Amino acid sequence: MTVHGGIAPAIAADVRRGELLEWWTLFWMSSVIVLMWLTMGASQAMKSAVIEDFLSLVPAIVFLLAARWERRDPNRRFPFGYRRGNSLAFLIAATALLSVGAFLSYESITTLVRREHPTVGGVTLFGHTVWLGWLMIAALVYSIVPPIILGRIKQPVAERIKDKVLHTDALMQKADWQTGLAGIAGIVGIGLGWWWADATAALFIALSIVKDALGALDQAVAELLDGTPRKLASNDLSDDAEDLIATLKARYGDVSVRLRETGRYIDAEVDCPSPADVPTAADLMGDDAAWRLASLSFRPEPSDPPA
Amino acid sequence: MMRKMPALLLLPLLLAACDGMPRDASGTSERISRTGTMRVIVLPATPDAAPALDLLGRYAAAHGATVARIEAHGEHALHMLEEGDVDAVVGHFAKASPWKTEIALSKPLTHGEPDDADMPVLRIARRNGENALVLATDRMVAEARR
Repeated sequence: MTVHGGIAPAIAADVRRGELLEWWTLFWMSSVIVLMWLTMGASQAMKSAVIEDFLSLVPAIVFLLAARWERRDPNRRFPFGYRRGNSLAFLIAATALLSVGAFLSYESITTLVRREHPTVGGVTLFGHTVWLGWLMIAALVYSIVPPIILGRIKQPVAERIKDKVLHTDALMQKADWQTGLAGIAGIVGIGLGWWWADATAALFIALSIVKDALGALDQAVAELLDGTPRKLASNDLSDDAEDLIATLKARYGDVSVRLRETGRYIDAEVDCPSPADVPTAADLMGDDAAWRLASLSFRPEPSDPPA
Repeated sequence: MMRKMPALLLLPLLLAACDGMPRDASGTSERISRTGTMRVIVLPATPDAAPALDLLGRYAAAHGATVARIEAHGEHALHMLEEGDVDAVVGHFAKASPWKTEIALSKPLTHGEPDDADMPVLRIARRNGENALVLATDRMVAEARR
């Protein structure tokens, strides 16, 4: 590992665990997509669920790509390395989540406005004609199991390695199983003759996905604009960033301290002359979180900001 | 909590669902039983409509009703079906018919599904959302093809 490249040894095992979880996600969600594709028939609700599951692969794919970039060493063309790839991946993942929410909202609203009555008829299997709705419900029940389990396992790993892409992926997984549930409610609604049930359930879920996605997008933009590090699940400043600012101010007086986040790593800039005894990352962040602080620079003669 | 929630949400829905699913969104089957009439249009120039009319006649009889033929042609007939002014339309439709999302087309009655999705064959068109009627007639079509 160098200042601007590689994964910190303290979190290397957890990052590998995150990568393994994402491979599992790609495997299980692909099996869900195939099964849903086979049973979707003419149902709009099922079609939306398949598209949602398809888009939900995006955060997993960008996480795997970003982890690869992060391991690359800096070079002449990219002297600060590739760690910000993670920030870019976060923006892509948040955009994918927003697309899912927006798409589902549009589908539900148009179904309600047009008063479309969905038709789910029979399908003949091995000489018996059964209601296709039962097969759809079976496929949807299968579709909610992997995301519930994977989402729950990912959450603590994302927190330990401060990975917003993995966190957004856990949110996507929440969107997956909620959409599956809405789909089941929708098919049961169709079965009961309530044509509006499906679209109404989907609309509530779509709006909650949009809300999560806008929050993630806010954070992604903050990270790319060198904002002070944010919490994983909200746009508030992260606790370790607030603690680091307080620690630096306690050591060097009421000076200007700027923190920014490159992927999962923090870079700090302090406006004061270099001290004779430069503190280590562990001195400032504690042993467990020392990996988070990638660089600390002192600016002895801060010039006035440009007018 | 998160793990238990899906099961909790689903239980009442599934319990409610087991009884008599699917139902018609606009109650066509009940209306046929109540009024004793199933309103059917046979599109003009459908010389081989007999198997479809026979099937619909048996469906109507099972609901204590008889088939009443209504005269209409072309898109008038399909609009009447969309609006619920008739219960079924018999005619030649392609699998890839431009009307396929507006009405619920059955499988072909007398042939296997043609390889060419644009080839019109004898089918029964039902009103969208009338899933009890659609499933019941789908079953009868599957039996007729056996």
